[in-house]
Amino acid sequence: MIKEKKNQNPAEIVKRAKKSSDFKEIKKNVSGVKIFISCFTSLIDHKTMEQVFLPYINECEKKTDQAFDINQFKNSIPLEEVMTTQDAKEIEEKLHKGFVLITFENTSEDWLLVNVSNLSKGIRETNETENEYSVTGPKLGFVESLDTNILLLRSKLKSPLVTTEELTLGTLSKTRVAIVYLDGITNEKHIETVKKRLAKIDFDIIWDTSALDEIIRDNSHTPFPLYLSTERLDRICYTLSLGQVVIFSDGSPSAISGPSTLLDFFISPEDYYYNWIVGSFFRLIRIFAIIFSIFSSSLYVAVVTFHYEVVPADLLGPLIESRANVPFPPVMEVLFLEMTIELLREAGARLPTKVGQTLGIVGGIVIGQAAVMAALTSNILLIVVALSALASFTTPTMSMSNTIRLLRFPFIIMSSLLGGLGIMLGFAVILCHLFKLKSFETPYMVPLYPFRRNNFKDSFIRSPYSVINKRPDYLRAKDTIKYSSKEKNKKKEDINDE
Amino acid sequence: MSVKVEKQFQVSAFFTFFLIHSSQTGIGILNFQSQVIKDAEQDAWISLIITWVITHIILYIIFKLLDGETNDLVAVHQYCFGKTAGSIMSVLALVYFWLASLTVLRAYIEVIQIWVYPTIKTWQLCFIFGLTFYYIISSGFRSLTGFSFWGVILPAFLFFLIYFPLKHMNYINLLPAFSHSLTELFLSSKAYALLFLGFEWILMYYPFIRSSNNKDISKWAHLGNMYTFIIYLVITLVSFLYFNQDVLKHLPWPTLMMVKVVMFSFLERFEYIFVFIWLLVIISPICISLWVCTRIAKRTFSIPPKATLLFLLIAEMIASVNFREFRSTDYLIHFTANAGIGFVYVYLPLLLIIKWIKNHFMKNRLNKGF
Repeated sequence: MIKEKKNQNPAEIVKRAKKSSDFKEIKKNVSGVKIFISCFTSLIDHKTMEQVFLPYINECEKKTDQAFDINQFKNSIPLEEVMTTQDAKEIEEKLHKGFVLITFENTSEDWLLVNVSNLSKGIRETNETENEYSVTGPKLGFVESLDTNILLLRSKLKSPLVTTEELTLGTLSKTRVAIVYLDGITNEKHIETVKKRLAKIDFDIIWDTSALDEIIRDNSHTPFPLYLSTERLDRICYTLSLGQVVIFSDGSPSAISGPSTLLDFFISPEDYYYNWIVGSFFRLIRIFAIIFSIFSSSLYVAVVTFHYEVVPADLLGPLIESRANVPFPPVMEVLFLEMTIELLREAGARLPTKVGQTLGIVGGIVIGQAAVMAALTSNILLIVVALSALASFTTPTMSMSNTIRLLRFPFIIMSSLLGGLGIMLGFAVILCHLFKLKSFETPYMVPLYPFRRNNFKDSFIRSPYSVINKRPDYLRAKDTIKYSSKEKNKKKEDINDE
Repeated sequence: MSVKVEKQFQVSAFFTFFLIHSSQTGIGILNFQSQVIKDAEQDAWISLIITWVITHIILYIIFKLLDGETNDLVAVHQYCFGKTAGSIMSVLALVYFWLASLTVLRAYIEVIQIWVYPTIKTWQLCFIFGLTFYYIISSGFRSLTGFSFWGVILPAFLFFLIYFPLKHMNYINLLPAFSHSLTELFLSSKAYALLFLGFEWILMYYPFIRSSNNKDISKWAHLGNMYTFIIYLVITLVSFLYFNQDVLKHLPWPTLMMVKVVMFSFLERFEYIFVFIWLLVIISPICISLWVCTRIAKRTFSIPPKATLLFLLIAEMIASVNFREFRSTDYLIHFTANAGIGFVYVYLPLLLIIKWIKNHFMKNRLNKGF
């Protein structure tokens, strides 16, 4: 950890800064007073500097009739953020944020700071939600600039309730981190917890908001993401509206929101854009896909290794036929194919998009087909593994999709040792683990356990808007009703009733 | 004397239903038929009703015991017998609870060995079960409650499997009804008592249930017991309707035999899957009873729960490895059933009487004092 020196002399700061090659200092003479103008040239906006600030100083230099007055000088600078200070620490901070420092020789103790920064230099301006794509709905995502992200958020939710609180984290990075919540809706307990956790952080660089997840989480040893990390604007707006707390950090295109529950990770914003029947159907498909993805290959191992009796005789024929030439035990076969898929996936993620696509086709089709031809794996297993890989991509959040990728392997190992019993034991342990997890001191498995009957309306299925007009109770929002849901025509409709 | 448990460790009263029900259903439901049919024969369902009613009375007694200052078994013991004698009684209770856990585990291992893996070694199963149970129990009572909740909900679909044996049922098997003497009925209901054991663990986890009043908890507890009864009644009737009495008397695992007839176009030998899913059912009784043991040790001697848990689990594993023969497991089940019947149906009512007498004396002493 870097120790901050207390009571630094401002001159020392300039001396320290001068070691950097991008630190420049120029000498000017205004009304007979020598002034030094210094800044980090890499941080400032050159346009402002050359067209506004320097011309003004030059003009001042020409005026020699008046006596120098620091206040007048300060107030007449034609830029927005100008301040005087004697605090060395503040000066140092501001210098690194792109302020220009003006010092006066022998005249004043005060140091003048002028903002000519351009911190959004080099940052992309738009983000299409590439990683959490949706067919319908807005495709607006966050970018690496905190201010832009807050702007995006505020332009979507124009309510005055949206409140942001900022703090600086990271001993090296000095990253601006913002906590966003709805004042009067979000429970203060959550806000307090977030603030307490963030204040306790001692970390050098905040790489990404999603990395904050691991630093502030309740249980550090778990493969499950405890906070929803997303790059989608609409998703964050939705979690905010429920009464969750959102954390942004500068330099990161993702935001995390909590307290989240396990089921939150299987919800896609799209569910709310379609009508509720279609939305519910998609959600059910997704949950089925996740279960299938986790268990299918381990079930194959269990059935082929131990319990071939459970397969009806008609089905057993093709199964045996497809495995007849394979020289390995089923678990080797499955691990080989699963590893191939994982390799393809990992390679696909690292390669440029175009190459990745080609590789996916070549790898998926050619390697799979060749492996079957070479009798390294069976046909049926190829189908099972490919389907389970496909199914794991239906998870709408990246972090949970990774967890599901990981979870398959312990189940495969367990099923190769103990068959069906191994799968059940693994399931029991995972279930127990999930019961233990907490996200911002809220149980992770809500509404499954602790059981909340009301919250099932928007969990496995997406009920009609008129039904899900309340905020989930586990978030303990201060205002529980999102909107009133009075039936428009209360009269029961009959056939051809006019 | 009363125990206060922090709110974050407590569960709501609603879960009493699942805690009671899941601690009652264990391995007994798979093989009780051959025992209960011995005496009352086709009228055994009347015996079931008798046991059920008595169990409700015992539940009532338990809530009377837990009333007031003494809100768990250790406190009751200390109140009634003083510190030393109370501790001895608590340790005896601990041994019984441990035996209950051992019995369920050993019986389940036997089911696995008979039905699924004939060649697997007992120690291998014990080892892997031990690790799992250690993880589950050490995650605390809240997780255990979650487990008992989902251990009831998830396997609930198995109940619908009764459709398959019902296709082959025969009404004649239940006739003639009401043809047995009271003695025979009571002997059968004693055999049924084993099935209901487990609800007495509420004596220890009672302080962990959050509720404004005692009535709320007892309502859910009684409902849980009722649900257990309904399930047992249905399974008793179905197995009586499906099997011939003489067959049933000699059948070791009638419930699993009934599952054998289940057949789908994509699945055969459903009893394999049944046995595996049954793991979710037996985890609750094994783990809750062991948790109760650690709780007793903590309350009487302030031993850290993890140390007790480790010791008891290792002891349980060593014990289960040493039951080598089918006979010895059978003997263990009988022994535990008798111990449980003694503890629950004889000792607990006695304890309540002792508590009342003590209450009476205490009141007198107080009256004299003032």
